Amino acid sequence: MNLAELQALERRYLIQTYRRSPVEFVRGEGALLWDSGGREYLDFLAGISVCSVGHCNPAVVEAVREQSGRLMHVSNLFYTGPMARLAERLSESSLGGRVFLSNSGAEANECAIKIARKHAHRRGIEAPEIVSFEGDFHGRTYGALAATPALAVNPDLGPMLPGFLSVPLNDAAALRDAVGERTAAVLVEPIQGESGVHPVTDEALLAAREACDAAGSLLILDEIQTGIGRTGSLWAYEQTPVRPDLLTSAKALGGGLPVGACVTSAEAGEVLEPGDHASTFGGGAVVAAAALAVLKIVDDSSLLRRVRELGAELRDGLLALDGVVEVRGRGLMLGVGLEEGIDSATVCGDLLERGLVVNAPEPRTLRLLPPLTVDSAQIERAVALIGGSLLSYAAR
Amino acid sequence: MSTAKLPSEPRRSASATDAVERLAVIVDAAERAASSVIDDAEEQARRHLKEAQVRADRIVAERLRSLADELDPPAADGRPAPRLKPVESGPEPAEEPALPRRTGSAGMRLLATQMAVSGSSRKEIETRLRSGFEIEDTSAILDAILGPEE
Repeated sequence: MNLAELQALERRYLIQTYRRSPVEFVRGEGALLWDSGGREYLDFLAGISVCSVGHCNPAVVEAVREQSGRLMHVSNLFYTGPMARLAERLSESSLGGRVFLSNSGAEANECAIKIARKHAHRRGIEAPEIVSFEGDFHGRTYGALAATPALAVNPDLGPMLPGFLSVPLNDAAALRDAVGERTAAVLVEPIQGESGVHPVTDEALLAAREACDAAGSLLILDEIQTGIGRTGSLWAYEQTPVRPDLLTSAKALGGGLPVGACVTSAEAGEVLEPGDHASTFGGGAVVAAAALAVLKIVDDSSLLRRVRELGAELRDGLLALDGVVEVRGRGLMLGVGLEEGIDSATVCGDLLERGLVVNAPEPRTLRLLPPLTVDSAQIERAVALIGGSLLSYAAR
Repeated sequence: MSTAKLPSEPRRSASATDAVERLAVIVDAAERAASSVIDDAEEQARRHLKEAQVRADRIVAERLRSLADELDPPAADGRPAPRLKPVESGPEPAEEPALPRRTGSAGMRLLATQMAVSGSSRKEIETRLRSGFEIEDTSAILDAILGPEE
C-alpha cells in the first residue's frame, strides 16, 4: 500500500479529527525515524514528548516483551506487582503521597480535578472552582477541556463543565484575585507546551502557591509534557520555587505506551475512596513495566545533567540563526520564536522535507522536543537544518 | 553374530539417545532453576540497593531542608525571623523587591533546595536564582544549602 492509498483508507475509515503530515513512518530507533520509502528523519518531536528515551529503547522493549509474555491484564480488582512498584517509584521521586494510574494525561488531570473538588467539598465549598492560566492545555476530556481555556470556548461542544476560570498567563495579581474561598485548586502547566512553550514565571508560581495556601486549596501542576526529565530534572517543579500538592504525568512515562499518573502529597492522597474513581486499564502490568523501565533510564543524575547541557547547546545554536528572535523553555523542551513574517507551519513542512521532524504550535513558533537520549551531533544537524530552512524562507 | 549385533545397535543407540535427552532435560531444568535463583538474588540485591538509595536520598533531603530552615527559619506568626543581623550603616535598597520578602525568600530557599536534591550544580542553581529572582549575591543561600565553596 503506498502513501496515497493509505491516506484514502484513513479518510474513509478514521474520524477526521487530525491534520496529518504526508508521511508514513514505519520504523524508529533512538532519535531517528524511517518512512515507508526508506528515508531517514531526525525526530525532534519524539511523538510530542512521548518517546523521550528514544524510539524502541531496548530496555523498554525488553520490559514490555518480558511482561507481555508473563501477564498482560487482570483488572484493578486484583493486585499486580508492576503497578505497585510504579506507584512507589513515582511517589518517592516526587510528592511522597499516593498515585492513581490512568491511560493518558487527560485522565490523570480528571483524577486531579476530582481530588480537588472532593477536597473542596470537605471544606464546605458547595460550588468549587478551578483556576488555570490562559494558554494552558490540560486535555480533551470534558473536565480537562473545561480547564483548557482556548478549547473550552467551542460552542459546538457545549455545555462545558461549570466551575472553571482562567487568568492571563503570568498575571500574578489576577491569579491572586481569582483565588478565593470557592477555589478548589489552581491547575497550571509549569511550562505551557501545546500553546507554544511558554514558561510560567517564578512570581506567578509563587503567587499561585501563596494564594492556594491562604485559601486552603490545592496547587496542581500538570507535568504531562514537562515531567520525566524533559526539562533537565525528573520533574519541572524541581527547578521552580514551589512544590505542588498534586502533579499529573503521562506522555514520556510509558516510553511510547499509554500511561498516565496523578501523584499526590500525603494529605491529598487521603481524599479519594473506593467508588470515587476507577479505570479498567489503568496501571496495567505491561504499561507499568514499560514505565518502570523508562524511570530507570531517566531518573539518573548524569542523564538529567546531559539534558541540561544539550538543551543549552541547542538553545545557543538556535539563537545564532538568522530568523530566530528568541528561544523559550528549559532543558530539551524549547520553543523557537521566529521573526515576524515567517510562518512556522511552512518552515515545519519544509523541515519535514529536509528530514527533520518538529511541530508548529503557534504561527511563529517551532516546538522542539527531541528524545533525551539525543547526542551533540544530532543537535548540530538539527540546528543546521533549521538554519537552512530559515535561509531558504528568507530567499523566497 | 554380526547379524545378531546389528539389531542391538539401534536399541543401544535409542536408549543412549533417550538418556541424552533425559540428561538434557535435567540439565535444562537445573540451568533454569539456577538462573531463577540468580535472578532472584539479583532482584533482591537491586531492591536492597534501591532501598538504601531511597533512605540515603531521604537523609540528604532532610539535611538540606534542615539547613535551609536554619538559614531562614519561619517565625510563629508566619513571618520569617531575621536571617542575618541588619547592618545599620548599610545602604537601603534602591527599590522594593518585585516579590513579597517572605514569599521571595522562602521561594528562593525551596528552589535552591529542590535543585540541589535533584542534582543541579552550584553554578546551575546560582544561574537559576539570578534569572528568577534578580538577586546579585546568592552566596549565603548557596553556602547554607550546599556548604561553603572550596
